[in-house]
Amino acid sequence: MTFGRYCRIAIVPLAAAAGLFSVTTAKHDPIWAFGGGSTLGGIAELGAGWSLVGAGLLFWSRHPQNRFGPLFAVAGFAWFLPEWSNPGVGTALGFTLGLVGLVACTPLFAHAALAYPTGRLRSRVDVAVVASSYAGALILLGLLPTTVFDPKGAGCFQCPQNLALTRGDLELFEAFNRYGLWIGIGWLLALCVLLAWRLVRAAQAAVVVAVALVPAIVYVALVTWEFQRSLARGILGNDSFDQGVWRLEALALGAFALAVVGGLVRDRQARASLARLVVELGEMPRPGAVRDALALTLGDPRLELAYRRPDTGRYVDGLGHLVDIRPDRGQAVTPLLRGDVTVAALVHDAHLSDEPGLLQEVLAAARIAVENEQLQAEVRAQLEDLRASRARIVETGDAERRRLERDLHDGAQQLLVALFYDLRVAQARVEADADSELMTLLLSAGEKAQTALGDLRELAHGIYPAILAEAGLAAALETLADEAPLPVELGNVTLERYSEPVEAAAYRTVVEGIHDAAEREATFVSVDVGREEGRVIVTLRDDGAARTSPLVHLADRIGALGGSLEVGETTLRAVVPCA
Amino acid sequence: MLTREGIVRLLDDAGVDVVAEAEDAEGLLRHVRLARPDAAIVDIRMPPTHTDEGLVAAQAIRTQHPNVGVLVLSQYVEASYALRLLEEHPEKVGYLLKDRVFDVALLLDALRRIADGETVIDPTIVSQLVGRRRREDPLAELTEREREVLSLVGEGFSNKGIAHRLFITERTVEAHVKQIFLKLGLAADPESHRRVLAVLAYLRASA
Repeated sequence: MTFGRYCRIAIVPLAAAAGLFSVTTAKHDPIWAFGGGSTLGGIAELGAGWSLVGAGLLFWSRHPQNRFGPLFAVAGFAWFLPEWSNPGVGTALGFTLGLVGLVACTPLFAHAALAYPTGRLRSRVDVAVVASSYAGALILLGLLPTTVFDPKGAGCFQCPQNLALTRGDLELFEAFNRYGLWIGIGWLLALCVLLAWRLVRAAQAAVVVAVALVPAIVYVALVTWEFQRSLARGILGNDSFDQGVWRLEALALGAFALAVVGGLVRDRQARASLARLVVELGEMPRPGAVRDALALTLGDPRLELAYRRPDTGRYVDGLGHLVDIRPDRGQAVTPLLRGDVTVAALVHDAHLSDEPGLLQEVLAAARIAVENEQLQAEVRAQLEDLRASRARIVETGDAERRRLERDLHDGAQQLLVALFYDLRVAQARVEADADSELMTLLLSAGEKAQTALGDLRELAHGIYPAILAEAGLAAALETLADEAPLPVELGNVTLERYSEPVEAAAYRTVVEGIHDAAEREATFVSVDVGREEGRVIVTLRDDGAARTSPLVHLADRIGALGGSLEVGETTLRAVVPCA
Repeated sequence: MLTREGIVRLLDDAGVDVVAEAEDAEGLLRHVRLARPDAAIVDIRMPPTHTDEGLVAAQAIRTQHPNVGVLVLSQYVEASYALRLLEEHPEKVGYLLKDRVFDVALLLDALRRIADGETVIDPTIVSQLVGRRRREDPLAELTEREREVLSLVGEGFSNKGIAHRLFITERTVEAHVKQIFLKLGLAADPESHRRVLAVLAYLRASA
């Protein structure tokens, strides 16, 4: 058992005793009491004090390294102290503590609220204001007036002894109080401003913190009001107005304590979801689940988790898509290491770095889940690379075929046409000379040239059908049916145009399908091409013998576009995504 | 370029008056507007994209100058292009394969027919359509002679032209055509200019 735990266990009966003691004291001497004079006041006093101590202890046990918990619990004790300046307190020590700690609760509470939830003050301004509020409350309004306050001299004969008394000086006592109140309004207003500023900042990142800050501001504002009203009197008092404000203060403190407990409950739920995620690993959580769980746990909706690919060093998200690590204003990046190697990077609210250990603690809990998803993201990214590379290969091949087709048309075919023309001219001349043998030769040469032209045209068309790019799938398939060695029945064929790779893939499917059907001695092939939910679907059916070839090349081409090819015995179905 | 020069020389030799030559569709349309020729010979592939600019230009000529016939030259055996050409203006147009044009007699015949208001479709395209494999082939109903006549109708010949080619009388051709249209269930008027388009579309549709 740790020291902190002993402390917490000891504090529980102490707080109970301090509360009950305060209320009985107040009840004993209601004239001097703040809140304990009535039942309602008693409930408010106990409720506020105990809820502060309780919430502080709970927070402390959840976050043993965090200063907020003990600070908040101490503020709860301090809340009871003013009641001890009552003559009915009975002991000199209690009485003295009550005098010195008359306003001790306010700086303690404000300190805790400003440091919520990290336990640390954020800036030097925060530190300076909190320090001056401690000085103003504990020294100027606490210790200094106490040292010159002689209760007997002030007419309180039943008061216990003031242990801090040096020499009674009523004038000095009043002067300390007056200046203390004036200066007090200064640091109270400064606290109000800082808390409000903190509220504005927190509202963007952590709504839970922002909600808690509202009652804190209300409390400090109420104290300020009380100070302002006490200026005329020159001293803090406990008239009926003071008691009213004091009850409202109790309410505000209770609300803050409640918000703190609420934050702890929410944290626990978020952590449970993180734990669940680790448990669910066996069932493959969906990609991105780790990010969502971390965002919930850390209360940062803008949180991003990117995985570093060991092969390329670039970052990808849970789905394997490339992402940029670019923290916005107010965001910070925390690398996640395995050994010395960065496996991931967390982009998160910069405030989260304020609480040392929180990120580390949460990330340690999520470690297995993070590493698991990192591996999956890497595999997904590699698959994506592979798919893109396949698509590029197919596209390059198609572009090459197209270039070849144009070269044949513009080069060889033009030359053959020219040759054919020269032969015609030669024929005309020979005709004039009436050389029948040469004429026969020239005629035969002309026929061969024409056959060569026809063959070349067919070859070029087979390499790449220009009509596909120019007029689209429907026209190209019609031509395919014109030339096919067996009847091709074109059913529903979409007239829409698609990207070149998609049209080429659909066209090749029909070409290969017809060729394959002819080899299996089918008497016909029916072809349908339709569009369905962003995919082009090509369906072929024939009546040939059962297919044995898996049509690997075709499947590769379709697969390169992220599509699929279903090869049945006499059916063929290609599904190609078309954006 | 090679082809254009060759064609010009051929036509000159054959006594055809070549009034203008053009590099692209824009130049072609300008010359047609100024010179008002009997017919224009258009390459289907023209700058800038070398795809179907020639087809677009041919349709523009037929729309803007109904008296000017157009002969489109193509390196593709593509019934789609021929049908596209015929769909809007079923007369005074022709679609021939490029290598056909160096057969002077054939080229002159085609130009003359186009100027006369007929249609000219390359025999390779028609024979490919007629030869298209069909599951239940309605063409099987036709006699050998009827198939011949059907092909010639598809190539755009008039009854007179068919009679001349087959060495039969025009009346016999008429009877054959009526019989063919009846057997195939073709609704079009067997005497109209539109019969070419009807026959080609029929051949392409009945798979």
